[in-house]
Amino acid sequence: MKRHLVTASIATLIATTPALAHYGMIIPNDPMISQEDGRSVDLTMSFSHPFELDGMTLGTPEAFAVTYGDETTDLLGELQEATVMGDQGYTLSYDLARPGTYIFTMEPKPFWEPAEDSFIIHYTKTYVTAFGDDEGWDTELGLKTEIVPLSKPFGLWEGNVFQGIVKLDGEAVPYAEVEVEFFNEDGDATVPDELMITQTVKADENGVFTYAAPSDGWWGFAALNTADYTLTEEGSGEEKAVELGAVIWVHFEEWTGQ
Amino acid sequence: MRGFAFAAALVVAPMGAAAHGLIVFASADCEAVTVEAKFSNGRVAQQGEVRILDGDNMLLTTLELAEDGTAVLPLADVDHEGGLVVEVDTGGHDNYWIVTPDDIARGCEG
Repeated sequence: MKRHLVTASIATLIATTPALAHYGMIIPNDPMISQEDGRSVDLTMSFSHPFELDGMTLGTPEAFAVTYGDETTDLLGELQEATVMGDQGYTLSYDLARPGTYIFTMEPKPFWEPAEDSFIIHYTKTYVTAFGDDEGWDTELGLKTEIVPLSKPFGLWEGNVFQGIVKLDGEAVPYAEVEVEFFNEDGDATVPDELMITQTVKADENGVFTYAAPSDGWWGFAALNTADYTLTEEGSGEEKAVELGAVIWVHFEEWTGQ
Repeated sequence: MRGFAFAAALVVAPMGAAAHGLIVFASADCEAVTVEAKFSNGRVAQQGEVRILDGDNMLLTTLELAEDGTAVLPLADVDHEGGLVVEVDTGGHDNYWIVTPDDIARGCEG
């Protein structure tokens, strides 16, 4: 159920306004693979504006891997080029050998965003559980920056809250700002004001944030911080700031009760 | 979630979908099927009955879980051409895993 106000004139206006938040995306065909579903998961990777379904070019990532238990496997060479939301992205079909939680991670190459006068690097991850075993759902990977889930990042009902800790260099980030956006996969959702395309919550003093999703579907959480280093922008030769995003994608299921 | 994907002639869900808390998995190689059972809290199921059924839901044999939560079924002991259904019952919990002909073939390749 997707409950969004529809206002045609405003929807038209939104369509003409500049794109908002960027998100690295790793979207599996299913976040909870049962044995009846098969023995693999299909993933689609992009760098996009998920509500507006507006793709941007995702170049070959710096890294793409899966972590299962204590083992991390490089999958960069397995990615298949694909068009996602009208632009360059990737797909991957990955065999699931055993029950448990598989965490797919992507580190893109720095993306130069002239409109923001900064580079963007979104460390993106998505948790997939296989065959009824959710062990490992709260795994912290030790990425440069990441959202460590306090709620299982799958198996949530719409309306449930998702909680996570924002970390940068392994440390919680007090009062971190977290942008939240719905993957408007069917294009059905509209908003009464463009401010609602990307919602923002702040973490508490321990870096813990909370968000209740109003609808089933995929929701992206991006905690944004500025890196303590700069990168050289080739065009101008100037040193530019780097936005580090800790992105996690969480699927909420449609409530099937009354 | 996707719908039921296996078109194999297996009679699926021989036990109720109400089984909770027990995770059953079985892997195959050319020689045997290894059954593993643990609870959703991570603890190994130290005892339980393992029932092996064929694709028509006919009981082929039974095994006992070892203390490490495993049981080994030599493939030579059963007709596995149409796949196998592995049921584990610990008394308080039960669940199942379907070993498809593809699982066996893939395990043999590996």
